[in-house]
Amino acid sequence: MDDARRRPLAFAAFGLPVLLWLGLFFVVPLGIVFLYSVGENVSITRIETTWTLDNYARITDPVILGLLWRSLWLAGVATLICLVVGLPMALVIATSSPGAKPWLLLAIMLPFWTNLLIRTYALLNILGTRGRLNDALGWLHARARALLEMFGLDGLGLLAERFVPLTMLGTPSGVIYGIVYVSLPFAILPIYSSLERMDKSLLEASLDLGAGQWTTVRRVLVPLALPGILTAALITFIPALGQFLTPDLLGRGQVDMIANVIERQFKKANDWPFGSALSLLLLYVTFILLALRAFGDAARANRPDRARGLPA
Amino acid sequence: MTLPGRIGRTAREGCRHDDDGMRVGVLGGEPTLATVDVVSRGDNPAGPFDYSRKWSLRLVFLLGTVFLYVPIVVLIVFSFNDSRRGGNVIWKGFTTKYYGKAFGNEELMIAFGNSLTIAVLSTVASVVLGTLAAVFLWRFRFPLKSAVEGLVTLPIVIPEICMGVALAMFFSRFGWQGVGDAIWPFNLTNIVIAHITFSFPFAAMVIRTRLASFNPETAEAARDLGASEWRAFRDVLIPHLRPGIVAAALLSFTLSLDDFVVTFFTSGPGTVTFPVKIYSMVRFSVTPEINAASTVLILMTLVLTFLALRYQRIAP
Amino acid sequence: MNRQRHPAHGRRRFLMGAAAAGISLKLPAGAFAADGEVNFYNWDTYIGETTLEEFEAATGIEVQYDLFADNAELFAKLRGGNPGYDVIVPSNDYVEQMRMADLLLPLDHAKIPNIENVDPLFMDPAFDPGRTFSLPYMWGTIGIGYRKSAVDAAPDSWSDLLASDRYAGRIALMSEPTTVLQLAMKTRGHSLNDWTDENLAEAEALLIAQKPRITAFAPDNGQDLLLAGEVDLAMEWNGDILQVMEEDDDIGYVLPKEGSIVWEDTLAIPVGAKNVENAHALIDFLLGAEVGAGIADYVQYATPNAAAKALMSEEYRTNPAIYPSEAAMEASETSVFPGQERMRAIDEAWTRVKAAG
Repeated sequence: MDDARRRPLAFAAFGLPVLLWLGLFFVVPLGIVFLYSVGENVSITRIETTWTLDNYARITDPVILGLLWRSLWLAGVATLICLVVGLPMALVIATSSPGAKPWLLLAIMLPFWTNLLIRTYALLNILGTRGRLNDALGWLHARARALLEMFGLDGLGLLAERFVPLTMLGTPSGVIYGIVYVSLPFAILPIYSSLERMDKSLLEASLDLGAGQWTTVRRVLVPLALPGILTAALITFIPALGQFLTPDLLGRGQVDMIANVIERQFKKANDWPFGSALSLLLLYVTFILLALRAFGDAARANRPDRARGLPA
Repeated sequence: MTLPGRIGRTAREGCRHDDDGMRVGVLGGEPTLATVDVVSRGDNPAGPFDYSRKWSLRLVFLLGTVFLYVPIVVLIVFSFNDSRRGGNVIWKGFTTKYYGKAFGNEELMIAFGNSLTIAVLSTVASVVLGTLAAVFLWRFRFPLKSAVEGLVTLPIVIPEICMGVALAMFFSRFGWQGVGDAIWPFNLTNIVIAHITFSFPFAAMVIRTRLASFNPETAEAARDLGASEWRAFRDVLIPHLRPGIVAAALLSFTLSLDDFVVTFFTSGPGTVTFPVKIYSMVRFSVTPEINAASTVLILMTLVLTFLALRYQRIAP
Repeated sequence: MNRQRHPAHGRRRFLMGAAAAGISLKLPAGAFAADGEVNFYNWDTYIGETTLEEFEAATGIEVQYDLFADNAELFAKLRGGNPGYDVIVPSNDYVEQMRMADLLLPLDHAKIPNIENVDPLFMDPAFDPGRTFSLPYMWGTIGIGYRKSAVDAAPDSWSDLLASDRYAGRIALMSEPTTVLQLAMKTRGHSLNDWTDENLAEAEALLIAQKPRITAFAPDNGQDLLLAGEVDLAMEWNGDILQVMEEDDDIGYVLPKEGSIVWEDTLAIPVGAKNVENAHALIDFLLGAEVGAGIADYVQYATPNAAAKALMSEEYRTNPAIYPSEAAMEASETSVFPGQERMRAIDEAWTRVKAAG
């Protein structure tokens, strides 16, 4: 790694385009959002930056806080599910034969490359009361009942008489399902990446030293894969917070999240200052999580006795 | 990197296998079997890290894949549904006429053309910027480096609605006011800029991963042999990075092609893109035409990916 | 891009909600001279099959046809400065909002001789006295679409939708904040423009109480839910229900006895339009008797053009879904722009409704 001062030309050549672009097209726009967030509507179309905290004060309204809490909750549950399902899947890919790996990865990524809207609409087909999921569950239910009847156990009340279809659309479950659906590929990749680079001999050592499979997983594998798991958690959770399409479509408008309110401010309510303040709120939450992550990284880096399993 | 010395040797020589072929602990007495089932491969014992051979994990993988693919399969199947309105719910018979309709739908084709144009432009710029950013962060030490790293990562994590809103306001304040009147492709400028802004950090991330396996001494050797900075970069670094660049290009392309939220906020008159057009079509009514158009898009993505993989194998 | 002709459109759909952009269809690549073209920004599928071609043939003016999905989007696009539209189609309450924001140019009636075709009833509305800034294009109502076999009697009141549990779990409302709250106020006997705090609170409470019985807040696809059998009652625009009635005889439309919202879409010229002369020419053309009849026939909404209406078929003129009865019209009202301050209160009330339970 070079010090910037040693090769100033190269440093500028590589750094300037990137910094200029981000400065102009990322930092400045966010700056405008910030200025609007401390401004107010002086007419139907004009906003003046009066450095008022009114918009932020509105965020403390219990309804908004409630929506924020619900968004954190829904995003959190979805993230958890993604991690719990994603880790085994990443494990399988990371430990398959080198020939199979790219194909497995492709298999996971391909759905991600399909149009998000279409996938979500396809979910409407699956999750409805007369959708494919309920079809499948109903079929299973019927088979199970048939089986019970065969053994004469149907009178015991082990299984309900009639299959009651799951209602997913219009409920938080449907929204969580939708978020998991769009996020899962995103979660698998960083975990896979981390597992790939892990030093496998440490696992061997753990087994050789007497720990069983499960203990090895719990106390060696997961801690070593932690950077990847945390990255996966972050890139699942934060975008999930900002979802407005999924609650609208799969929640049938019944399960509003904070981004639905934001979207409304820029359209129907014509209240750009408030919408800006809410958008920045999401950004602040993002910053906090990233900062926590950075602190965590720094803390772990300062423990030299713990092998980190990554190439030096 | 394996364990050195006595422990390593003992581990390799003295370990035992259980009946299922999984390696069991050897030092410290009591062997402990996993509670997880294991599938043996007869005389080829599974190594300690062969999770991909455990059927429980395989089941999870399979279920996960099914979960991901069922809606897409349904989507494709229903693109042949002969039903004008209840497009995705009620099956009424097989037909391919909606593919004809999709291709005959001029607005849809224009939107598709716009999306492709934007994706190509955005990908080229994103890969360039992404490579610069990746090398920049990998190679140089400078004050405030972690802040810059954070800044480059931010567009990846920031909620899309934030990004869309910010860019919309930026273009409305500082944008080139004549952009709507400009001839194609310049009227797509705003959207292309927006796409580059959220794509290149992804590209940088992918390329950085590839950079991690580059030995800087190779570049130093090149410089010692008299190559200039530029030549070292072009002839030594870039070839090594090529798989990463291809992956980054593919990723940027699909991100751009599929983007809805940011484009939704930054598109202007005459610049509808494919996802945005699909959105307005599905609000109108969910006809199989939309499924047909999406299926075509999926096929395109498949072909592209396949080509990219082939290219990676051919290229050294 | 290639030379494109604007494709034949289907029925008009009132696309409210979050659909974005304009679609620009550059018609024959003729002269680039500004005085030879006009930029028309309209709702999706809201014009006759051959209307624009007829206009071009008659005047030689090239039409650049862009589409938008809802008023809020139109307003958001214009508030930062007109990106280049000459003729737009705002709804009545948005005409007011745009007037207040000085976004509309006064129309020169002298340049629009076909103004005489407009039914006098529409010539002096509260939202645009003397029709200084806008002229009527189409109008309609909002009512209840229902599945005949699923109800014992046609729902004749908004309470069936908003206050009763008879159809619990089989109801779809719109996702339009102002509209739904207005109809809730109507259910409680208030005027739909009487946005006092008490009325708003009452409407909000009514909706929150009803929320558990509602299946969906449908962003413009209530009629699809009705058709698919997911709901039995849907609050929708009349034309949307008309469309699904064609597909399924079991579906009906009714305008509840309390009355409803009568909306009107208008033609207007935004400030900053570059082709003002041509804009007037286009508006004049669209108000022609035969042209108007062609549009109405294709789009199947009610036309405020008396001369055009006279040319329409009996079936069209007596269709109660298009032209409601006298009694129903008596009880109905036109929506007035509540003002920015009230809009905020409305949005907050709506956020509470959506966040509840």
